[in-house]
Amino acid sequence: MSLNKNNYLIIFFFMCSLGLWAQVESKNDSILTENLDEVVVTATRTVRQLSSLPLPVTLIPKKQIARSGVTRLDEILEEQTGIVLTPDATIGGGEGVQIQGIASDYILVLIDGVPVVGRSSGNLDLSRFAIGNIKQIEVVKGPSSALFGSEALGGVINIITEKPNTSKMSGQVTHRAATFNNQNTTVSINQRNKELGYSIFVDRLSTDGFDLVNGDEGQTINPFFNYTFNGRLFYDFSDNLRVFASGRYFLQDFEVPSGTSEERDGNVQLRLDHKLSKKSQFEYELYYTNYVTNEQTVDPIENEILLDNDFDQKLFRPEVRFNNSFDVDNTLTLGGGYNFETLDRSLFGEQVSFDSQYVFAQYDFKPFEKLNVIVGARFDNHSEYNSQLSPKISARYAIAPNFAIKGSVGSGFKAPDFRQLYLDFTNAQGGNYSVFGKEVELQGLERLIANNEIITDTNGNLILPVPLEDLGEPLNAESSIGYNLGFGYNKGKFKGDVNFYRNDFTDLIDTRILATKRNGANVFGYINRESVYTQGLEVDLKYEVLENLSFSAGYQLLYAFDKNVEDELEENGGFVRDPETLQTVEISRDEYFGLENRSRHTLNFKTFLEIPEWNANANLRVVYRSKFGLADRNGNGYLDDFDDSFVDGFALVNLSFGKTFFKHYQVQLGANNILDFRGENPFSTALNQIQVNPGIQFFGRLNIQF
Amino acid sequence: MKTTLKLFGLLFMLMAFVACSDDDEEPQFIAVQSNTASNIPAPQVGGFGQGEISGPFTKFSFATGAVTDSDTEWDIAFRGLSIAVNGGTETGTNDEPVRNGNAGAAIVDGTFASVTSAEGLTFEQDATGAFAIPGGSDNGWYNYNQPLNIVSPLPGKILVFRTHDGKFAKVEILSYYRDAPSEITPDIAGNDFRFYTFNYVYNPNEGETDLTSQ
Repeated sequence: MSLNKNNYLIIFFFMCSLGLWAQVESKNDSILTENLDEVVVTATRTVRQLSSLPLPVTLIPKKQIARSGVTRLDEILEEQTGIVLTPDATIGGGEGVQIQGIASDYILVLIDGVPVVGRSSGNLDLSRFAIGNIKQIEVVKGPSSALFGSEALGGVINIITEKPNTSKMSGQVTHRAATFNNQNTTVSINQRNKELGYSIFVDRLSTDGFDLVNGDEGQTINPFFNYTFNGRLFYDFSDNLRVFASGRYFLQDFEVPSGTSEERDGNVQLRLDHKLSKKSQFEYELYYTNYVTNEQTVDPIENEILLDNDFDQKLFRPEVRFNNSFDVDNTLTLGGGYNFETLDRSLFGEQVSFDSQYVFAQYDFKPFEKLNVIVGARFDNHSEYNSQLSPKISARYAIAPNFAIKGSVGSGFKAPDFRQLYLDFTNAQGGNYSVFGKEVELQGLERLIANNEIITDTNGNLILPVPLEDLGEPLNAESSIGYNLGFGYNKGKFKGDVNFYRNDFTDLIDTRILATKRNGANVFGYINRESVYTQGLEVDLKYEVLENLSFSAGYQLLYAFDKNVEDELEENGGFVRDPETLQTVEISRDEYFGLENRSRHTLNFKTFLEIPEWNANANLRVVYRSKFGLADRNGNGYLDDFDDSFVDGFALVNLSFGKTFFKHYQVQLGANNILDFRGENPFSTALNQIQVNPGIQFFGRLNIQF
Repeated sequence: MKTTLKLFGLLFMLMAFVACSDDDEEPQFIAVQSNTASNIPAPQVGGFGQGEISGPFTKFSFATGAVTDSDTEWDIAFRGLSIAVNGGTETGTNDEPVRNGNAGAAIVDGTFASVTSAEGLTFEQDATGAFAIPGGSDNGWYNYNQPLNIVSPLPGKILVFRTHDGKFAKVEILSYYRDAPSEITPDIAGNDFRFYTFNYVYNPNEGETDLTSQ
């Protein structure tokens, strides 16, 4: 495939259809050709060169994904600086992504700019997303609610799919086989004529799963299979009017010992780009997504249904955006939209729905040549909680041609989720405790009182830690302010970035006790209470030793603490139980370890080698994270040095080799976790040995292009 | 010189007097000792979705340091996660022992050693609908970890009791499981629960609030 300048331009236009037509055209061509791979759309919702951005953004190009031989979103994110995939504290739970120490609940995931839904206890399972047909992954670190609204506190992950670019039908078939009978087949077909383009992608993954616990029944990850279907259509009515349509469907079925566990996820996106002039453009977008899970546990002997948990979430969102470039360096972006969201869940009394409307504006300008400033804000009006105004400002100053300083301050928020508002749950099997969402807590508690389930004092008066009249007060959105200050150096073969960050979270939603039942079990409700912070430093270095040999290294330093716990410990000290004597001992601030699942140090190292004479390539990738704690185990509610729940620091080393035969056949062999690290989970017992990692995983991959 | 002698004489007499008074008074006090009560069984019928809680409480006397069947000479009593005191009235659950003493309870924050006196504390008694030591996770003496099914005594919560006959004791509960294991496996959590092990210091001297052991 030969690429001339015209082809470059065509590819560029299609892959950046979110972007700014006028701006693109007016930029000079040399930038386009030199930095074709280094353009992002997530940071500003316009096409921007990565190196010129005033905020921290990580770009993962297609080539890196292909060379690494991984097929799921979580696997490639894990190898990036400052991004950690954390295991769920309870065994068998999914993994969550963490950016700048901020948990998965507060990170927004987009596909081609539209959000995916379907979180289990706040956690979005990133292994759901196949990455066989993508152009690049963009990760914006720090609060981005000024553009994206709720959930974008810690950052935004945007998966940008590949656009078709050849007039002849082209495609590829890939099969990857790995340890644990992990079989992944991918077929994709693309074609682009003058006006019409299409792209079809099918992915099937199945595995026998694996077990991290020795000596128990069942497996940690049960066998499962899943399918991803994605079809996309591109049509140009004229140079000024283009339409894009995309449909994606995901189906996953777990083979559980008794019962069923099924997951379905579908989205439909329709976008119309209307260029008014060379300088301004409208984008109209309709988006619908539906996420469904059905879980059923059946008593294997009696054949009775023990647990029936269904979850059905829908989001419909029309959005309009407008861009206007006054000149090359001045761009105004405006937008607005409406979210209709519903959730039908077994644990809720009835189907619940949210409505929200929003508008946003952003101005990207250069007051003078060396300074670029982006100011923006978004206003969200919501049917169930307070409206939110989320401003953000960022700036980059070029001190020298190769050296720039950049900084940003932004705010983020996360709307209380359906669970925190509408849950009506009593655990009949274990302990009989009850949990009520904010909107139903008053009715729920009154129901328990009417049933005479709540304890009373001598005179028959109810004992209520929270007075009834204080119940049902609306929850505030959880919010954060993030600060980033960094330096970038970029000269020839060397590229280096240093970034200091701080994120202050307030109004985090926590549970509190509303009452105690006669049987001793508690009744819980939700309240805004916690405030935490994360701060530290990120360093990213890249060195291209030779044209075909590159090294990169990354490091993140992280401090993550709960401010309330810190204050309490500083003022009054705290207590823990000595795990040996079981007696109370006093502890101070120094012995407070910080938030769960946070490693103080994370490191990554990657080297990629290409040998054109042999049509071969090789790479080595190392990821290290230092000691982290899983949960408080000595009853004081926070992680301290006495807690027996720490996982020791460990490194995962991944290796892969690839070779191309007869131009179209690519073979890849490799191993992930080549040192066969297994580790020991602190929840292990004498009977049940629990590993942290299932050990070495070999893989082979064949890719045929046509 | 004379004055020095006089001074020494005085000192000598004073010392003799002090020593004498010590000798004279000490036998009147019984030494305050630190003890451990192990594996006090606290069986319970029902609860946790198994119907209404019932079954007799296991009564304990600080004076004897042992479980007792006496209907009057007991100070505190255990059934499952509930701790009753022999003071106040019945809370209203099934099979509760009759309160006929003047016992009470107070929860003090600190290490076991840091609680040195019962002076100035407010003692609660059992009452209709509420034990003096509140039930529920994180309310009284324990935390219940639902996913792990483990009851752990809250660190830094020292229970100070007035006994049925007006003496004082302090208690630190160490474990709710048989033989107070340092690691509670799911097996132990599911089978060997409702066994209290606690450290206590009891001051057997009438009216004495001191809770430091010798």
